Amino acid sequence: MGGHRRVEREKEERQSHTEVIRRKNLSPMAHRLLVRRIWTLSVKDLRCLPASTSSFSTSLRSSTTPLSLLSPKRTLPRSLPHTSRREVSFNVQDHEDFTERVINSELPVLIDFHAQWCGPCKILGPRLEKAVAKQKGKVAMAKVDIDDHTDLAIEYGVSAVPTVIAMRGGDVIDQFVGIKDDEALDSFVSKLVGQ
Amino acid sequence: MAALCRVRHRWKRTNCIQLLTRNLTGTFDYDLVVIGGGSGGLACSKEAAQLGQKVAVLDYVEPSVKGTKWGIGGTCVNVGCIPKKLMHQAALLGTALKDAQKYGWQIPGPISHDWSTMAEAVQNHVRSLNWGHRVQLQDKEVKYLNVKGSLLDEHTVKGSTRTGKEIMLTAKNIVIATGGRPKYPTHIPGAVEHGITSDDIFWLKESPGKTLVVGASYVALECAGFLTGIGLETTVMVRSIPLRGFDQQMAGLVTDYMEAYGTKFSWRSVPKSVDKLSSGVLQVTWTDEQTGKDQRDTFDSVLWAVGRAPETKTLGLEKVGVKLNKESGKILVAADESTSVPNIYAFGDIGEGRPELTPTAIKAGKLLARRLAGQTNELMNYDNVATTVFTPLEYGCVGLSEEEAESRHGKDSIEVYHAFYKPLEFTVAERDASQCYIKVVCKRGGDQRILGLHFTGPNAGEVTQGFAMGFQCGATLTHLKETVGIHPTCAEELTKVNVSKRSGLDATVTGC
Repeated sequence: MGGHRRVEREKEERQSHTEVIRRKNLSPMAHRLLVRRIWTLSVKDLRCLPASTSSFSTSLRSSTTPLSLLSPKRTLPRSLPHTSRREVSFNVQDHEDFTERVINSELPVLIDFHAQWCGPCKILGPRLEKAVAKQKGKVAMAKVDIDDHTDLAIEYGVSAVPTVIAMRGGDVIDQFVGIKDDEALDSFVSKLVGQ
Repeated sequence: MAALCRVRHRWKRTNCIQLLTRNLTGTFDYDLVVIGGGSGGLACSKEAAQLGQKVAVLDYVEPSVKGTKWGIGGTCVNVGCIPKKLMHQAALLGTALKDAQKYGWQIPGPISHDWSTMAEAVQNHVRSLNWGHRVQLQDKEVKYLNVKGSLLDEHTVKGSTRTGKEIMLTAKNIVIATGGRPKYPTHIPGAVEHGITSDDIFWLKESPGKTLVVGASYVALECAGFLTGIGLETTVMVRSIPLRGFDQQMAGLVTDYMEAYGTKFSWRSVPKSVDKLSSGVLQVTWTDEQTGKDQRDTFDSVLWAVGRAPETKTLGLEKVGVKLNKESGKILVAADESTSVPNIYAFGDIGEGRPELTPTAIKAGKLLARRLAGQTNELMNYDNVATTVFTPLEYGCVGLSEEEAESRHGKDSIEVYHAFYKPLEFTVAERDASQCYIKVVCKRGGDQRILGLHFTGPNAGEVTQGFAMGFQCGATLTHLKETVGIHPTCAEELTKVNVSKRSGLDATVTGC
């Protein structure tokens, strides 16, 4: 199973960074930098990910030598089951992180575009977390601070916050702007999960 | 079937028109490239895009010496008008809280101010404005590039990213609206290493503490004003006169109020050096020009407000042939904002002789965009621009100062009407209104055309705005006297002004 999965994942990652390159229309230099980043997780990224994430461990398995040099120093488990204990709610770090954990996510993802200065976002945030937790790992939530990731937010057509986008397999299937109550949120999330 | 044909025909026609336009503009990437995403640059680029031009705006903030940087929107949004007015409001609320007790409000304990709470709220609002601008540019289809622009030739702009990557853009027309940045007195030892400027004060996460503000421009006085208002020990160090360029009698009233309000003033003083002591405080040595002796004191922060310099050094202007004023370093511009190079324009703070104000930059930018798109020939009218200094006692004015009117028309040809008044709100609050004053400078004789209007008092900006319209319409003293006041307000005192300086009579307004 391991070998086949690794080939599959490598193909996916190649496709994902091709897609990023295509979307970003990168110059050769930036392309090289991007390739280096995707295939070699930086130490900072390692620190940001909590110990139990399996998305990290799958990358560990599929990456080339530089990462395996780092792994002995880490106390993270090397053989976690593929889909269990996946990080359900996380903050998007950068464009590459977004591609990897949102566009290429095996789970459907809710993307919460928010801002520090947005009052309603502070109300919706906890409600979203609750609705996502109710799904017990069937849906993930990616949080995007639009001041830190302005280009990404603009790319997804965000104009007012909070904006929540429902994504499955890299496609936007639904979205809403503003606050929703718990009932409406549960129904929105259930629809995304496909119940 | 017929409908489909019609649609296809229309599509073909529109496509032809688009091709034609592209040919007219030659092989340029853009019809217009605007360098500078501030009040002027954004207004110009958005207007141009709305008129069908292909526009790109380049905005880049070189971090301040202390490392402060900010998003799109320019000086006004990030390190000027907006955060300034919000902090001024914070200070006014402090005063209002004190007044409130006289009005019956039961305030339990001593009132204190927390800088971090205010700063975070102000900074968050500014960030929301940065975002709003990005969304607007996106909506109006203006290409935004976070690059440092410079000219390679009259149709080519080079943009450099923070990481050093370079891009090239060609444009039919180029507009420079890069504004200015605060100056550091580099000849004073320790000034650059230990001091901050208005670029930094609004982004401090922690209170600046006991502050020395060097300068007497409106930037210096407004900053010192709100720092005092929130409870910080503040000193203003003035070399010669306050508010240079403004009516000096009014400037005096503003500083008198600030002194009575708690701001310390060090008049006729020139800083010599700034040293950092082992405790972390800054020791400033200065020369008292009156006694010739040196003085010394310690401060937590030193804020330099000694003037602003235009952002032209890295634009490559010399190479392209854009002429600058040698003294000020600003770009020489004609009435239509054109520079010495035919298709290059400049406006806003960067233009020589232009007021350094947001509304004039916005209006000039919009008109320029319209002219470039061939929609109008209208030029920007820079006369009769009203302005307000948001010191603890605000000062609003439109038109000429008394000195300027005297110099242009002669003392005998002008009549100055004035009045000291007391805002009703000050009575119960037992506040001193000695500096609340109105001055209307008129042409002598006939209907007495108003040459200048000056007002110190609460909400001076709100008061002056309405009268500025009258001024624009050529208001005379007769018009003013024919206007019935709204009662009870401070603004109505302007309609009641009748004592002239020449008469020598007491100008204090009494009773109702």
